Amino acid sequence: MGKGRSREQWTAVVNAMVARGAKATDAELVQIAEYLTAKLGPNSGTEAPATRAGRGSASAPVAGRGPGPLGAGAANSHVVDDAGAERGKAVYTAECITCHGLNGRGGNETLPAEQRGPDLVRSVLVLHDRYGNEIGPFLAKNHPLRSGRKGSSLTQEQVGDLAHFLHQTVYYTLRSGPMLKVQNILTGDPKAGAAYFNGDGKCSTCHSPSGDLAGVGKKYDAPTLQTKFLFPRSVGFGRAGARTAAAKPVTVTVTLADGSVAEGVLDRLDDFNVSLRDAQGQYKSFKITPQVKVVKHDPYAMHVTLLDQYTDKNIHDIVAYLESLK
Amino acid sequence: MMLTKFVTKPVFGLVVLGSGLLLPALEPSKVSGPPKDAWPMTIGDYSGRRFSPLSKINDSNVNSLSLAWVYRTNSGSGFASSIKATPVLVDGILYFSVPDKVWAVDARTGHEVWQFSWTSTGGIHIGSRGVAISGNSLYFETPDCHLVALNTKDGKERWRSSICDLDQMYFGSAAPLVINNHVIAGVSGDDLDAPGYIESHDPETGKLQWRWYAHPQPGEPEAKTWPNTEAMLHGGGMTWGAYAYDSELNLLYFGTGNPQPVIAGKGREGDNLYTESIIALNPDTGKLAWYFQVSPHDTHDWDGVEAPVLIDGEIDGKPRKLLAQASRNGYFFVLDRTNGKNIVTKTFAKANWAKGLDAKGQPIPNPAKMPQIDGVLVSPNQAGAANWPPPSFSPLTGLFYVNATDAYSVYYIYDNDIKPEGWGGNDHGGWSQSALRAIDYKTGQIKWSHTWEGTGGPRSGVLSTAGNLVFAADSSSNFVALDAQKGQPLWHTNLGTGMSNAPMTYELDGTQYLVVAAGDTLFGFAMLAK
Ligand code: HEC
Ligand code: HEC
Repeated sequence: MGKGRSREQWTAVVNAMVARGAKATDAELVQIAEYLTAKLGPNSGTEAPATRAGRGSASAPVAGRGPGPLGAGAANSHVVDDAGAERGKAVYTAECITCHGLNGRGGNETLPAEQRGPDLVRSVLVLHDRYGNEIGPFLAKNHPLRSGRKGSSLTQEQVGDLAHFLHQTVYYTLRSGPMLKVQNILTGDPKAGAAYFNGDGKCSTCHSPSGDLAGVGKKYDAPTLQTKFLFPRSVGFGRAGARTAAAKPVTVTVTLADGSVAEGVLDRLDDFNVSLRDAQGQYKSFKITPQVKVVKHDPYAMHVTLLDQYTDKNIHDIVAYLESLK
Repeated sequence: MMLTKFVTKPVFGLVVLGSGLLLPALEPSKVSGPPKDAWPMTIGDYSGRRFSPLSKINDSNVNSLSLAWVYRTNSGSGFASSIKATPVLVDGILYFSVPDKVWAVDARTGHEVWQFSWTSTGGIHIGSRGVAISGNSLYFETPDCHLVALNTKDGKERWRSSICDLDQMYFGSAAPLVINNHVIAGVSGDDLDAPGYIESHDPETGKLQWRWYAHPQPGEPEAKTWPNTEAMLHGGGMTWGAYAYDSELNLLYFGTGNPQPVIAGKGREGDNLYTESIIALNPDTGKLAWYFQVSPHDTHDWDGVEAPVLIDGEIDGKPRKLLAQASRNGYFFVLDRTNGKNIVTKTFAKANWAKGLDAKGQPIPNPAKMPQIDGVLVSPNQAGAANWPPPSFSPLTGLFYVNATDAYSVYYIYDNDIKPEGWGGNDHGGWSQSALRAIDYKTGQIKWSHTWEGTGGPRSGVLSTAGNLVFAADSSSNFVALDAQKGQPLWHTNLGTGMSNAPMTYELDGTQYLVVAAGDTLFGFAMLAK
């Protein structure tokens, strides 16, 4: 599953797992994201059949050059040849771009109707095509070219290359598309961020720009900073995001019926049982009864409370401020 | 039934039914539900309430429930093997599915009767939400876009019918619903910008009877909710959720999925009908009777496909035919199901994306909370305040039970093109916390909320019964029975893996069974002690 995703996308998957309760340290999460990117990322090459669980077919597309996460599309989808797509792009630019648009999403509205080429990413003809077998015959039927020649003048190779390029454009549109990346997020006002940090945000009650957060703007890129201060347990974006500090664990104090106390790093807590690892590294678990008192200490509790308070302006101002702490 | 086991937890629920704090709306004997010895459709009965009138297992004896059998499918791990389907029970046999596989299992013993495997030609294998049965035929969808009929006797294929185009990134995952001589089947898929639709097929031959598209036709007044025809005809609105049916009104109900492009909505200004809407159709013709849009112009992937629950209730002292949905966007809706008019709209979880409600009772999206290039903090997150796991409504307590999630994430625009396509953005990072919530259908008020410890939440369905019990999953793989009126846990068992479907119950030979799935395993519980 999930072939062809970039590190950003795998990081997002891992974060979603965390948000849904997956337990791991930050370092482990980073390892998982790195591992998944290496194994299943855009440059990972052909997947071993064993990991292609559920596709039910031996001809699933090559990572990054066929459909995206969880195996969208047909098992016999067009597999893009990158070099072919590169050559196809040149043909497209020379012969098609004026009518079908810069990225195949249809011609400019100012074009006369008969020249306004339809969207080729949404074209059922293109989606049904395999290696030019639909596109080729279609173009050969007198389709106009930018050069003024006839579509039938395109060589077999050019048609094949165009097919690689058009399918690549389609695959890039899927949610796993490698072009889908976070853009510039540094839109805030660092001064306003500093004011919020020391004022309403009460960040300064726990953090200091010259202490624990000194150099945090160097440590993380801006998108990662945004993720890390909003959700300290999440992994950030990209390479810098991967180098985040280990998240601090939640600890727990369990007071038993006889008054004895057990303390340590929380392992698991539900309505019925609680388990922890104490300072000696010993695992302990207890049944919860009305006589047993369980108190959780989450070092990030304030970060959760703050989620109900930030405006989006606060958020972007803070990121701009933290970014300035180089 | 006697309490035979040592009760290890204080049992607050030792109340005779009807003596609790809330007065039951109805006498148990007067409420309807699936027949005692059957669970004829994935959704229980056409109301989709997933309420059982059985009460042999109840709040006073649930502590002596024991494991009766286990059936392990051994169909691998991950999405493709996880049992999301609530089994259908007919004539003592349970029928259920995962992508490309169907099983028939003895409901008394958990022994396999037959299994069926489909050779796939692709499609997203994210889940199979159940089978439908009519006569001696079983119907299910495959990820590679087929509606398939099997013989219930031996699991042999009777026919197959194509329902969608894999190349346009559609796939099948929904549980079909049989209404008279119609097999209703919906489609999934939101990777590319394709239109959603729902179909009806002939139960005997598989032939297509009608198809209803989740968009208006060019020229209709609703077409004005799109900037142009091209956007409208590629606007999404898949139909992969649960369906329900009112035989008196002869109306089929379901919700539609997110509009396309999913996150970057720049090229589809307007409300985008009929995406993220609750739809009522005539099942004989596929003609639209009414619609109500739960998320006009959504940009957060909040499919409005959560189970529609038909409630025969009372509003201001008058009996009313109602439809309730706890939607992925964090809002609980109650509509008049004869005409789609809104009665209640209220949040049941954190939701910061709407500016208020319009005259029709629909939330008005706040443009400032639509995805932005520099990110915007939104609740709920993409997974939503609720999702496909079905809720339950008990006519005895008058409460609607849903596993609800409070969550935040940051939504980004990645593709700032004037005409974005596909997704064009996504959400990132996040925090979430889940709770089982009991909502008063008349007001939308939360009567009780039981928080599940631990971050993240269960994605499990709910069952309520006349035994004053609600069954649901917590975040720690526990299958939990709670007091339906007050919400405190009475019994639990750890399934080892998170519960993956919605539980169901039935009575055979005087024994009430309770069946639930976790991952690739089906568990049968019963009161075995004599
Ligand atoms: C002069 C403008 C023009 C040029 C140049 C042009 N096209 Fe087109 N194209 C159109 C128009 C207009 C249509 C719609 C009418 C039709 O189907 O012929 C179209 C239709 C198509 C379709 C069918 C889409 C569908 O879903 O039906 C394909 C595929 C296509 N063009 C590919 C190309 C390729 C590849 C090139 C370059 C090699 C190209 N076109 C060059 C104007 C143009
Ligand atoms: C009640 C205390 C408290 C408050 C208030 C608080 N934080 Fe934190 N924050 C923490 C703790 C504890 C950590 C984890 C630090 C660690 O892992 O060393 C943390 C982590 C962080 C991190 C990640 C640091 C890293 O290196 O990964 C950032 C950035 C951050 N906080 C920013 C803020 C901002 C901005 C505010 C105000 C809007 C704020 N915090 C308010 C306690 C707090």
